Amino acid sequence: MESNTNTDDIELVARLQNPATCRKAFEEVIARYSEPLYWQIRRMVPNHDDANDLLQNTFMKAWTSIENFRGAAKLSTWLYKIAINESLSFLERERKRTNLSLDDESTHLIHAIEADTNIDGDELRLKLRKAIATLPEKQRLVFNMRYYDEMKYEQMSEILGTSVGALKASYHLAVKKIEEYFENND
Amino acid sequence: MKNQDILSEIDRQSGMTVPEGYFSDFAARMAQTLPEQPWEKPNVMPRTFWQKVRPYVYMAAMFLGVWCMMKTFDLMRPQSDLSIGNNPVLVSALNNDSFFNDYCAREIDETDLYDDLYDQGFNPSDMLSEQE
Repeated sequence: MESNTNTDDIELVARLQNPATCRKAFEEVIARYSEPLYWQIRRMVPNHDDANDLLQNTFMKAWTSIENFRGAAKLSTWLYKIAINESLSFLERERKRTNLSLDDESTHLIHAIEADTNIDGDELRLKLRKAIATLPEKQRLVFNMRYYDEMKYEQMSEILGTSVGALKASYHLAVKKIEEYFENND
Repeated sequence: MKNQDILSEIDRQSGMTVPEGYFSDFAARMAQTLPEQPWEKPNVMPRTFWQKVRPYVYMAAMFLGVWCMMKTFDLMRPQSDLSIGNNPVLVSALNNDSFFNDYCAREIDETDLYDDLYDQGFNPSDMLSEQE
């Protein structure tokens, strides 16, 4: 399945690099990657509207810098990098706008999660989201990629520019913190 | 409950949802908002001076060509003098009195002759005095 996706991506990259087929190919990129990128962003930001805006910005940036994408990195890695940078920049801007410290941000996120209307109502899942919101930004990112997307550490390493060992340690630490959150909030 | 149990129980679903048809709508909406890339714009070059005047130059050249062609045909035509004095047939005909009277003078009206005479200063009384 993954090799099929890779083959499709290679073919898609070739079409992206041809000016005559670039636009059509990019429309396919949007159709293929909008969902995984949306969830990646959505798990980092408080609500659907913010995630929607950031997803649009992600594709817009990818489109405007498509000339610089030479296919050296995998297409998915490149797109994830843009999406993650957009998410982290957004959180930084929000912190500055609302004058929040990193510690206060967790509380702010938990309130936003409670106010979110686009949820399926499962209490356990909601509690896990709140537990994840207490994690530091990068740890949250690592946990989301590993737990929800089941992404390999090697790919995470390419996207985040961190060593595999550091990512494993970060994930392990995140799991510990989530465990503590569940113990303390029974 | 141990954390690992909780994580497996949650089944890797975040519990977050999106509005109905969001992803299909998003792809269509996003595709429409993509701005035009420089290489997609039609390559319109400004018209040079030569491109602007070329049709007029070609038209002038055509007329010049036609004029040259006519001039060439004119030069190729045998040169001939059509004046009466150089035409021996006409000269001999006009020197022949009977031909002149038969074919030319006959057409002359008597009144026209008198008009010409009076114009040249003819006076009938002079003619009468000469006869006397």
